[in-house]
Amino acid sequence: MGDLSHLQGQLVVGAILFALGAIGFLTRRNLILIMLSAELMLHGVSLNLTAFGQYHGTAAGQAFTVMVLTVSACEAGLALALILTLYRRRRSLDVNLWSNLGEPDLPKLAQDILEVSPAPREQPLPKLTPAGPLPRYPKSAPPAAKP
Amino acid sequence: MTTWITEHWRLLLPLALGWVCVWLLMPRGPHRSRALAGIFGLAGLLAVKFYWLPPSGPLLQDIFFLTFAAMAIIGGVLMITDHNPVYAALWFAIVTLAVCGLFLLNSAPFLSAATVIVYAGAIIVTFLFVIALAQQSGSAMYDRRASHPTLATLSGFLLLGCLMFTLQEWGGQAAAEGGNAFLKVPAGTTANLGSVATEDLGSLRSVGRSLFTDYVYAVEIAGTVLLIATIGAICMAPRRSQGNL
Repeated sequence: MGDLSHLQGQLVVGAILFALGAIGFLTRRNLILIMLSAELMLHGVSLNLTAFGQYHGTAAGQAFTVMVLTVSACEAGLALALILTLYRRRRSLDVNLWSNLGEPDLPKLAQDILEVSPAPREQPLPKLTPAGPLPRYPKSAPPAAKP
Repeated sequence: MTTWITEHWRLLLPLALGWVCVWLLMPRGPHRSRALAGIFGLAGLLAVKFYWLPPSGPLLQDIFFLTFAAMAIIGGVLMITDHNPVYAALWFAIVTLAVCGLFLLNSAPFLSAATVIVYAGAIIVTFLFVIALAQQSGSAMYDRRASHPTLATLSGFLLLGCLMFTLQEWGGQAAAEGGNAFLKVPAGTTANLGSVATEDLGSLRSVGRSLFTDYVYAVEIAGTVLLIATIGAICMAPRRSQGNL
């Protein structure tokens, strides 16, 4: 049996990390940072698990934490693949662009931003620096045929 | 109502200070009063320290615990409020290192090392994504404005208040009566034999014995989850027009 006040301190820190992760999950609009906030919540959970494991003196809490670690690694891989796919569709990481994913007969939660989204930027054509003397004839006149 | 507030001011004071700190730091435009938020945040941390984190055991352990806890909390606050996603990923690395330090204090050195290894890869990949996908010239519009900062921070701190209230109740009254359901080993059930208390708690030997005797099905399920996640990530990842990855 471990120390009760040590356990309480760990639980307080875990709760604070969990709440901070929840706040970040709700307020951030960047898809990557939303995923990182979920990982912050998982940190708080695994802190709780190891603290209780140490309090009871068993290794069960650490076995659970290994499970949490595995699931968080899977989640990170899947989330990054999903973010890459979403980014290639809209060219942006803003989560508000995806707020109308429901059925078409449901009320829209936000204004449809698809029409408002800016057109893809046109690539400027490469220009060569002018070399040699400028042509003498005026631009409107046809060039003289070569003899 | 007022009696309730005066009874529970130890719970409400750090919550209010922390809420003001996070609310002030939320990205909502060009101007944020960081100094004021820092003062409120430090006051909240000190309140948490004095009312919620009593000294427990040896001095050196307390010093390490407080250092790692402060690193984790400050890094977490700055991670969820930073304008720049690159800095936010860096703060997340700080939080991960601090949590690994707390794992060490919880006598879990193997887990600490494993977390560092796993999250090192995860954070490097996240860096690559941030640098490749986010705009490099300054932070984008969606990073400079949080969505519903007031409501979100209020609900988050309400959640934290409920958690800490529960902690206060079972830590205060039930622990005085000899522990409650959280703290007692269940009497009617036989404990998992591979996970019982040993001298070498946290060593690779004890964790492995627990994993491969009591929780061997969990290990199998974790392997299956990893396999399915790999297949899913390959399926979801965008393909080139040639048809191969």
